[in-house]
Parts: sequence; structure tokens; C-alpha cells
Amino acid sequence: MYRLFLAVRYLLTRPINLLGMLGILLSVWALVLVVSIFSGFLVEIERHVRSASADVSVHRLPAWASGKALEQALRDDPNVRDVAPRLVHYGMLGRPGDRPQPPPLLGRTALHGGDQPFLLVLGVDAAAEAAVTGFAGWLRAPSIPPDLRVADPTAPLAAADGTPRVLVGLERMQREGLRRGDRVLLTTGRLQGDGDGQKGLQQISLELQVAGAFKTHHGGFDGNNVFVDREVLRQALFPDRPDAVQEIAVRLHDESTLSATTDRLQRLVVRALDRGDDLARGHVQGWRDKNGQFLRSVEHQRGLLKIVLVVIMVTAAFLMLATLSMMVTEKTADIGILTAMGATPLGVLQVFLACGLTITAAGVGLGLSAGTLTSVYLEEIRRFVLWATGVDLFPLQVYNLDRVPCALEPLWLLQVAAMAFATGAVVSAWPAWRAARHDPLVSLRGT
Amino acid sequence: MNPPVLEALAVTKSYRLGRREIPVLRGVDLAIAQGERVALLGASGAGKSTLLHVLGLLDAPTSGSVRFDGRPVHALPVAERARLRHRHTGFVFQFYHLIPELTALQNVLLAGMMATSTLAWWRGRRAARAAAEALLVQVGLQDRLHHRPAELSGGERQRVAIARALLADPKVVLADEPTGNLDSATAAGVVELMFSIQQQRRLAFLLVTHNEELARRCDRIVRMQDGVVVG
Repeated sequence: MYRLFLAVRYLLTRPINLLGMLGILLSVWALVLVVSIFSGFLVEIERHVRSASADVSVHRLPAWASGKALEQALRDDPNVRDVAPRLVHYGMLGRPGDRPQPPPLLGRTALHGGDQPFLLVLGVDAAAEAAVTGFAGWLRAPSIPPDLRVADPTAPLAAADGTPRVLVGLERMQREGLRRGDRVLLTTGRLQGDGDGQKGLQQISLELQVAGAFKTHHGGFDGNNVFVDREVLRQALFPDRPDAVQEIAVRLHDESTLSATTDRLQRLVVRALDRGDDLARGHVQGWRDKNGQFLRSVEHQRGLLKIVLVVIMVTAAFLMLATLSMMVTEKTADIGILTAMGATPLGVLQVFLACGLTITAAGVGLGLSAGTLTSVYLEEIRRFVLWATGVDLFPLQVYNLDRVPCALEPLWLLQVAAMAFATGAVVSAWPAWRAARHDPLVSLRGT
Repeated sequence: MNPPVLEALAVTKSYRLGRREIPVLRGVDLAIAQGERVALLGASGAGKSTLLHVLGLLDAPTSGSVRFDGRPVHALPVAERARLRHRHTGFVFQFYHLIPELTALQNVLLAGMMATSTLAWWRGRRAARAAAEALLVQVGLQDRLHHRPAELSGGERQRVAIARALLADPKVVLADEPTGNLDSATAAGVVELMFSIQQQRRLAFLLVTHNEELARRCDRIVRMQDGVVVG
């Protein structure tokens, strides 16, 4: 009983112990809050990526691949609901007569997209695309201003006055000041044989009319892609191949069997493209795999942040170690009389260990509570700070979000608590061990 | 004569200082009977306090043995020696050694908590508190129960230490110059108190002191010089 009694008394009469507790509290709080924001962000990013992706993509198709034959083969799978062939090419978009924008800075990522001149030009059949992705909804997104909306969403890429049309991401349109009906020039190129077995780059310029804006939840997709009619792009790039296809977007009946279906479709595509030479052609990927690198990079950043925050916890632990060591030094005078009254070295150790563990428990408990509360009410806190100071702690528009994302993971909370307890126990053990080894006779011989 | 409660038989104790061996006790024999009051007299460095620590099982002899109620106890495991100290031995020191964070009552109660589990303490807390209060009343501190050591005089602190030493109802009290830090008037009061309690409870009482006059009030005087008993 004396261990707990003395530990509590020692703690209550030494406000400096609050420093150690505060350190643990802050590190636990930061670990809970920051990681829950990042986890929420990851969920949001995944949702955004999902919203702009087909369930399955078939790509890396050989140049001679027949779109129709492949489409038919894919449709034979019982889980395939619909397919949409695409042409995918690079290009630059600008107003006629304008110089192209400078190339992007090295290391610039396309998280948000649209800040560099190069684009993926997707040649699609609007009706087929609408059957496999959220294409139709992207044109009707509420955030698109009326003057930038597509006039006829049922035929958004139908040529107007003989000029083919292009759909541009909303933010790119706004940033570049494009209006519906504006004329733009798509500059791209293709490799052209010269008859001597050599190939050279042939520049292609397509004059297009802006049909309007599209908007998915994925800013990177919107910024880096434009849509044109597949037939228009085919005539420009592959005039002699009426059945050309570079990618096929697939919609499934049941997404829960995505992995099994992907494997099945992969075998099917290899079979369909087999020319008897045993070469595997074509690559089938589920939406998560296709965007895996991007999603993993965000997850990796979360991992790095965890490491940084654990270092903060270690720093807090050193603060606790310092305060506990100070306390042991101050209380060595008590060790003699405790021993004389019947305490064992183990008992003395437990007194000081109890002090450290109590500080840790209080820090962990308060840190978890504070972390959970601030995570749950983060959006309200952001709004309050914005209202009170004018400072936006988390500008939502940068990440295309409606509110600050947050996902509390019970397993992570447990891990943080366990980690903090383990750290607290380790840094408490050393001063406690020092106290237990203190010779009680040194204290008893006089002060 | 009563059989001895506490005995030292041919006890030696030496400390190592670097490569040198410093002998402090050189074959001490001493026996204290139940109800006996013994004064241990000697100059500084004679080995009085070391003998008290060895007899109180706070320190182990280099050779020889310590017996409690006829049983050798000096080589018992640490936990067992701690239990014996708690159950049968009370200590009073020159510098009181009260825990500054605790009130007088809590300092006394702490002695009762030493060998008690939390649950057992919770069940018996009222009785323990009543016993501690009774002891503090007996030593004249009925108005100082909730004062901390810093708010007490030297004499009052020593009275708290005496009450603390008695809470577990020990058979032996070992007092190491208990009046060495008090003025003569206060010291006289503390001595009267200790002796009267010793008589009431028939305690085996070993008093380490420099004070000849105080020693003469004991049943027997044991003189030490250079680590040996000389008379």
C-alpha cells in the first residue's frame, strides 16, 4: 500500500512532474490527431481516385490489337457489365497563336494537376464512357458554373460546325480563362516511318472547340486529362487503323470480386492477343492497382509522419526521465527511513516506478482524449480559428475537400497507447532502479 | 534474567575503501533482554551506529551472527529481513527522517502500510488511523496531527518519529542519538517520553548516545572503543 500512497504524494507535491506528463500528453495528442487527419486524407484521396476511375483498365495493348475483338472477348466474362474503348495520347493544349507554357519544375507532382502544359488526351465514345465511369455525372457536377457547363450533356463531344470538341477540367478552364466555345489548339505528335526503316516524329495539330468543363473529385485527373472524341483522335493518330484501341475501361457487375475478375480478364486478354508466340500481351489492372503508386505515396508520407511524431514522443520521454531523476535525487533521504520501516529495494523501486507509470498513464489518457476530441471536432475548430483569426489552418480547396478529413483508427489508438506506456515504463525504470540501488545507510547516517 | 531478544555474537564489520579494508566492528558480543534498557556509549567512530544498523538488520555483518529471539537472522533473504524490521524493530534517529510531504499522522500511518496490501489496508484503515492517532496523543501531539514536518519543532518531529517507531508494536526499539539534535530542555522531555513508553511496553531498548548522564539512566551501559566492547 505504501508504494501507491507515497507515489501519489510525491507526484502531487511536485508540480514539475506535470512537465513530463505534458510532454507525453502532447506527443500522444499529436500522434492521434495528425495520423487521423492523414488517415482521413487517405480515405478521401482513395474516394477521389475511385470516382475518376473505371473498375478495371485493360492497357499496354499492342498496336495491332483489334478493339472490337477485345471488347467482345471481355464482354463474355460474366462479371463484365460494360466496356469502353479509349485512345490515350499525350499533348499540349493552348490557344491558337499562344506560346506553350514552360515545362514543369523538376519534382513537381501532379497531386492537384493542371499546373503543367502536358496533358493526357483521352479519346472516348461519350455514350460508352458514360456506361463504365461517372463521365455523365462529371459534366453535371454542381460546382461547374452555368457558363462553363456543357450545353448538351447527352452528346458532349459532338462536333460543332465541323470543329471537333474537347472537354477540359474545370480548374484548368478557370485558371486559363477558357470559355465554352473557345477555340484551342491541341499539339501532339506521332512516330511516322519514312520508308527507309527509320521513324521520325510528325507534329499533329488539332483545332478544337471547348465543349465545357468536367469535374470529378480527383483534382489530379481533372488537371491532367482532356476528353476528345475517339474517332477524331484516331483519324489524327492512326488514320489507317479504323479499329485502333489503346485502353479499354471496364465496368463490373460485382466490385467485391475485383481481384478475381482482374485475374480472369488478364488470362482472357492474353489469350485474345496470342499470336502463337507465347508472349503475354496486354495488362489488366483494377482501379486500386492502377493508382497504387499514387495511393502508396500518400500512405508512405503518413508513415514518415508517424516516425517524426514518435521522435517527439521519445523527446517527451527524455523530459520525463529528467524530472523523475531529479525527484529520485531529492528523495534519496527518504529511502533510508523507508528501508528501516521495512521497505525492500524492490518496494523502493516500485514507489518510483509507480510515479513514472502514473505520469505516463495520465499523459496517455489525456493525450488520447484530447487527440480524439480534436480529431472529431477538427472541422469545427478549423472554422472557429478561421472566424476568430482569419487564418485557414487547412485550406480545403487545395485538396478538393468539403471538410477536414479525419479517420480515427482504434488499432492506431491502441498502438499509440502501448507505445507511450512502453516508453514511459522504460524511462521510469532507470531512475527507479537507481533509487532501489541507493544505500539506505548513506541517508540514515545524517543529512 | 529474561532471555535475550536481540543478540550480537562475535560480530565484525569492515568496509572496503579502494584497496584498503577498514574494520569498524571487531568481534562484538551484545545481548539485550525483553524490557531491558541498554545505553551504547562511545566516541565518534567507535562503531556504535554501525552496530545499531547491524542489529537492526539494515546492514549485514562481515562475520559473526545476529539473533532475534534466539534465531539467527543476519543471513535471511532481503524480504524476510525487511519483514522482521517492520514487525519487531522500531527505529528512532537523530535527524528524525520524517517524509516532508506527509503530515504527522500520515508519517505514522506510513509505518502501518509497509507490509499491508492495498485491499487489506482499505479494510483496516479506520483501526490503523485510530491507533496512529492514539500514539500521537500519547506523545503529546494531539493538536499537531495534520501538520507537516516543516511546521513542527525539532522536539515535535522527534515525537512523531517515536510514534512512528511504535505503530507496529515492536519488541525492540533502536535509538541512534535521538536527542543529539535537540536543545537540553526539549531533549529531556523526549527522553522522559521514550523511557516511559519503554517501561509501559517492556521494550528491549538500545540507546546510542554520547551523553553519560543519559546513559546512566539506562539499566546497563555498554562502552565501545575502536570497534570493540570495552565495558
